[in-house]
Amino acid sequence: MSDNIVRAKDLGMAGCHTCGQVVRLMEKKHCVCPRCGSDVHYRKNNSITRAWALLISAFIMYIPANTEPIMYTTSLGQQGSDTIMSGVIYFLSHGDWPLALVIFSASVLVPIAKMITIAYILIMVQRGSARRQAENTRLYILAELMGKWSMVDVFVVALLAALIQLGTLTTIEPGPAGMAFASMVILTMFAAMALDPKLIWDQTE
Amino acid sequence: MATEERPSICFVCHECDALQQVSAIKPGNTVNCLCCGSKLFSNPVNGIEKPLALIVAAAILFIVANVYPVMTINIAGIERAATLTDSAMIFIELGRPELAAMVWIPGVLIPGFIIFGLFYILFSIRFNLALPYTRPLLVWASRLLPWAMMDVFLLGVLVALVKLVALASVFLGPGFYAFVVLVLAYAAATASLEPHTLWQALGEQSDGQREACCER
Repeated sequence: MSDNIVRAKDLGMAGCHTCGQVVRLMEKKHCVCPRCGSDVHYRKNNSITRAWALLISAFIMYIPANTEPIMYTTSLGQQGSDTIMSGVIYFLSHGDWPLALVIFSASVLVPIAKMITIAYILIMVQRGSARRQAENTRLYILAELMGKWSMVDVFVVALLAALIQLGTLTTIEPGPAGMAFASMVILTMFAAMALDPKLIWDQTE
Repeated sequence: MATEERPSICFVCHECDALQQVSAIKPGNTVNCLCCGSKLFSNPVNGIEKPLALIVAAAILFIVANVYPVMTINIAGIERAATLTDSAMIFIELGRPELAAMVWIPGVLIPGFIIFGLFYILFSIRFNLALPYTRPLLVWASRLLPWAMMDVFLLGVLVALVKLVALASVFLGPGFYAFVVLVLAYAAATASLEPHTLWQALGEQSDGQREACCER
């Protein structure tokens, strides 16, 4: 980028992650923020390794989240199960395409897009690439923000299960995909937090 | 040692680590990072009063939304109502406490903590009360902010509503309307908050203590 930009790290300074206070670290690796008491460091510890580990775990959870049933419906003795895709197809067949689109984006597209984005940034950082740094930073911020929307199905099942409990008539019970979705969301959020976007800018041509 | 002087302030970009000296800006303006373009800080108009008013509204709505049922359904003469917390507690009844935690913690507990925590902090700043524990509260509110999923919960309520309308007669409870406005008020409150403004206000309250810490 521009030549007259100074990185805080090069001057032995760092900004607090929690409150933004600028601290002079010099040769110390980390210190306690004088303003808010958080730990201040130049870069997050083992950022790349931790982000990869969390990302791979999240990807493993993504598979049962989409293949296993999210809920079991028992209606007059008849058992049925619903996966995310069967729910999307149900809405599509009833002409509810906006809702089908919402569920499909939140549960299928958003998590995979977030995981690909984080993996892409990790690979760029590991290869020492200094290309498209501003674009990659914006991608990172976007990925960080959108991940939580995949939780929507867990909330839907909770509400349906709470309302449809009619003794032996109809009951709704959560399936194994619920916990898989929740774990995937938590793991991708931790992966995004573990990845330090400042690493994108540590590379120079 | 902290390098922070009033007219021009030292900022390190959270995303790209670019060190920048920024002079004071007029209320209503935002400063973006020279290097990567992400937001450095802003100086919102009424930076304390506006979020405080919105947080008070959110706190009242939060109580209403959690006390009154969101929906009542009627299938074959059997009525059943559920509040937001009921929808988490059903998982405990069904023997899945981990799922109950996954719904209740991000859907109710963390948003509640942030709303009442921010109210306490803003109230303390606005009326110069120097109440205790404002700093650790602000630290935890900012750390927990990404885990508050009320907006996602609202989307879940709407999707569940559409699914239920096909099965039964559904009546929206007072909790539903309170929840919709709550999500809007909460979003407006967090959008009008500038962490830098809060930290500076908290810094002024106990400057002596802070300067002592800075020499470490």
